[in-house]
Amino acid sequence: MAEGNKAARDGGGLRFKVRGPRDFYGGLALIAVGIIAIWATGDLGGSRGFAFGPGTAPRMFAILLAFMGALIAIGGLLADGPPIEKFAIKGPAYVVAAILLFACLIRGVSLEYIGVPVNIPGFGLVVSTFVAFMVSIMGSSEMRWTESLLAGIGMTVFCVLLFVYLLALPFQLWPSFL
Amino acid sequence: MTDLFANLWLGFSVAAHPYNIGFCLLGALVGTLVGVLPGIGTVATVAMLLPITFGLPPVGALIMLAGIYYGAQYGGSTTSVLVNIPGEATSVVTCLDGHQMARKGRAGAALSIAAIGSFLAGCVATVLVAALGVPLTSIALLFGPAEYFSLMVLGLIFAVVLAKGSVPKAIAMILLGLLLSMIGSDLETGAGRMTFDIPELSDGIGFANVAMGVFGFAEIIRNLEMSQESRDIVQSKITGLMPTRQDLIDSAGPIARGTILGSLLGILPGGGAVVASFAAYTFEKRISKHPELFGTGVIEGVAAPESANNAAAQTSFIPLLTLGIPPNAVMALMVGAMTIHGIVPGPQVMTKQPELFWGMIASMWLGNLMLVIINLPLVGLWVTLLRVPYRLLFPSIIVFCCIGIYSINNSPTDVIIAATFGLVGYWLAKHDFEPAPLVLAFVLGPLMEENLRRAMLIARGDATVFVTRPISAGLMLISLTLLVIAMLPMIRKRRDEVFVE
Amino acid sequence: MIKNLVGALLSAALVVVTAGAAQAQSDYPKRNIVMIVPFAAGGPTDVVARIVSEHMSRTLGQTVLIENVAGAGGTTGATRAMRAANDGYTVIMGHMGTHAAAVALYPNLAYKPDVDFEPVGMAAGTPILILAKKDLPAKDLKEFVAYVKANNEKLNMAHAGVGSVSHTTCLLLSSILQVKPIAVPFQGTGPAMNALVGGQVDYMCDQIVNAVPQIQGGTIKAYAIGTPERSPVLPDVPTTTEAGLPQYQASAWNAVFAPKGTPKEIVQKLADALDKALDDPAVRKRLLDLGSDIPGKDRRGPQALGTLVKNEIAKWTPIIKANM
Repeated sequence: MAEGNKAARDGGGLRFKVRGPRDFYGGLALIAVGIIAIWATGDLGGSRGFAFGPGTAPRMFAILLAFMGALIAIGGLLADGPPIEKFAIKGPAYVVAAILLFACLIRGVSLEYIGVPVNIPGFGLVVSTFVAFMVSIMGSSEMRWTESLLAGIGMTVFCVLLFVYLLALPFQLWPSFL
Repeated sequence: MTDLFANLWLGFSVAAHPYNIGFCLLGALVGTLVGVLPGIGTVATVAMLLPITFGLPPVGALIMLAGIYYGAQYGGSTTSVLVNIPGEATSVVTCLDGHQMARKGRAGAALSIAAIGSFLAGCVATVLVAALGVPLTSIALLFGPAEYFSLMVLGLIFAVVLAKGSVPKAIAMILLGLLLSMIGSDLETGAGRMTFDIPELSDGIGFANVAMGVFGFAEIIRNLEMSQESRDIVQSKITGLMPTRQDLIDSAGPIARGTILGSLLGILPGGGAVVASFAAYTFEKRISKHPELFGTGVIEGVAAPESANNAAAQTSFIPLLTLGIPPNAVMALMVGAMTIHGIVPGPQVMTKQPELFWGMIASMWLGNLMLVIINLPLVGLWVTLLRVPYRLLFPSIIVFCCIGIYSINNSPTDVIIAATFGLVGYWLAKHDFEPAPLVLAFVLGPLMEENLRRAMLIARGDATVFVTRPISAGLMLISLTLLVIAMLPMIRKRRDEVFVE
Repeated sequence: MIKNLVGALLSAALVVVTAGAAQAQSDYPKRNIVMIVPFAAGGPTDVVARIVSEHMSRTLGQTVLIENVAGAGGTTGATRAMRAANDGYTVIMGHMGTHAAAVALYPNLAYKPDVDFEPVGMAAGTPILILAKKDLPAKDLKEFVAYVKANNEKLNMAHAGVGSVSHTTCLLLSSILQVKPIAVPFQGTGPAMNALVGGQVDYMCDQIVNAVPQIQGGTIKAYAIGTPERSPVLPDVPTTTEAGLPQYQASAWNAVFAPKGTPKEIVQKLADALDKALDDPAVRKRLLDLGSDIPGKDRRGPQALGTLVKNEIAKWTPIIKANM
């Protein structure tokens, strides 16, 4: 995240100092979300007579959100607050990668209908569970290979027994191309 | 009164049939098991297991489905306490103090009090359903769009009050939750709102995806930052499994009040049960001598919402049983199950099929008893799970969550959305934003907006309906009072700061 | 070693392309078939789907699983079905709304019901009733018509969401009566019925399945049924023809469709299984108990459904366009 650098630059370059960076940058991000939402709802109809129309409520909440964001950001300028903790990269990266791999492998991904020639076949529950387990466990600094491998296999077997045999969920077990 | 006893006798003679006891036990067991798996909520559980009941006799099938329903609710609370993942909107607040208790090594006490509170609440609510089900139905019918809108506003105010930190931040999170809940197709016109032309978003975002992301995945990411030592301390100091005497004394009041609130709100078909658990939490926080401790692991913060959500789970059967109108998605599934079995749910069920009607009511009580019997011994097992080294526990949670989310709609996109919300939740935590108000607003948002629009249509744009209709006006007044009380300390603090400067 | 394994799997994922529908069809079905129900579980379409799918599973030798994909008047589910692989493992329990009315309701509809789907066969029709809250002054349909025309400004008509059967069939009523009432949308028929029972709204049109218990229980009134004959479930409710509004004919049909390009033999296999289900006495009894109208032999099968879809689109489009 670039916020740390920005905080330092703002603190040095400008006259005023950000006293509560958590609130200040949090507020700014909310303003951004509010503005994006206002933009995204721009094409929706507003009130017609006493009918609300699809756009009224989201726009109202988006404006209020931007307003609250501004309030929080101003609060962050004026009142002292703790610094922003460092954002870790490794943990989130592995966890998110594991989840995304699971999503892509479980039933396969085809983007052909939007014109992208990507077509990942479904790998089924066994492969996707094992891959998700192994990738996520690598996000931990305490990972041990043998133990993880055994746990991964155990977990996969457990999930298959539980979801497929006990709960009879309609999962594809093995890769579809085998 | 004699009628009631005769009816209950009939009910128990049906429910106590060995087959039906078996179905009830099976339902409660399966419900607990599936509910405990993070990622799979009650609706998904019942939907998944619905086909299993097709081959059963109708009374048995419904008893089993009802068992699954409250079994899953019990189980969902267990994940809230153990791994900070709410299985249902109703157990979001359980996370707040329940998981903190677990971190302090008091997971056993939290789980036990949840089970005990739920059982007591379930008993009271079942009697209420049996004795007053029919007259209470009229309450449900008094609630029109204007009343529901006011109730949802009150619900959002609860979400502000229950927040630990700053009020503006809680309000911002509520607005963000409301905004997120509006993604998807518009009810009135069918127009896609903030969908960015992504077809998967036209369904809107599911509750499970958001909750799993900002609670479950974000929690894991944050835990990975912590050093091994600080986590292992949490794990090693697990104290007694059962609540202490003091715990029981502290919980008695919250359980009683939670039961009353839950029973009343549960009758309302349009989201009353969701409001129940955090209404109970907020109420306890308001009247507590130490409100500042809420959110750090106080037992009242578990006892009250758990009693309330279980009481509401029982009384939410009232509209279904007396009117045949399903108040929520789970009940809609039960209506489906009834019609598939050739039973037309509605006002006549009670007179035409008394054995079904009273059998189900009796089975609710039996189901609750079984859940306590199943769950209290399991507390030991769940707590032992916390002793599994975290480096092995967290990948398992991730895998369970992935499979759970995927199985709800068989949609990989849902899993990706949950991952996104994991990162959002991580960012929110770094900036001291609480996820609970966001998730609650996300659940209440559509109910609030839709009812507002309906109310305005029916009133032909006259906004005074919200204050001229007595129930609505009462709810609005409570909201306003609560908001003022919540804002007061902040205003005072600001003023003090200004004076200091 | 694990890294290599994971790497190998990943590269395999990126390289291998599915053979898709090109696989042999003679052994169809070799796995579960998903039947998308474009509405929430427990609703009329869902119940019809569950009743027939259970019997179809037995004929096909594989489970037909119900997947509820609700939203946007059913078009979300229909769009998903349209985009699904055309290998016969995804079908949809389509419906008057998703496969006829939607054409006029949604200008940006992602699919054309008569082009993008292979019709499999009609499953069941559900007659539509004209309903009102129990203290509405009108005693019969004639009085109701006069009342609605006189009090048009004041009345609220409930419906179960844009594009739902209750919405489109009420538009039909409005166009016949030349009125434009305020339409109050609800999220599904359950909440709409709740509001009608509670007297929050004045009248609605809805499918017989939802209304029977309420009518029998006396919590709402039924003025007429929009079919040529009375329903055996509600023998006291007159037909619209008897009650003096013969133009109002409406029945919500449910029919099975497969994505476009699904092989002919597979479609035929599905149609045969559906046909068999509709002949089964137990299935028939369940459907009739719900008030459904089971199509006769001449209205079953792909061809009859194809014609029905074309006719229905032609029927609903002008009515909806004129009233939106």
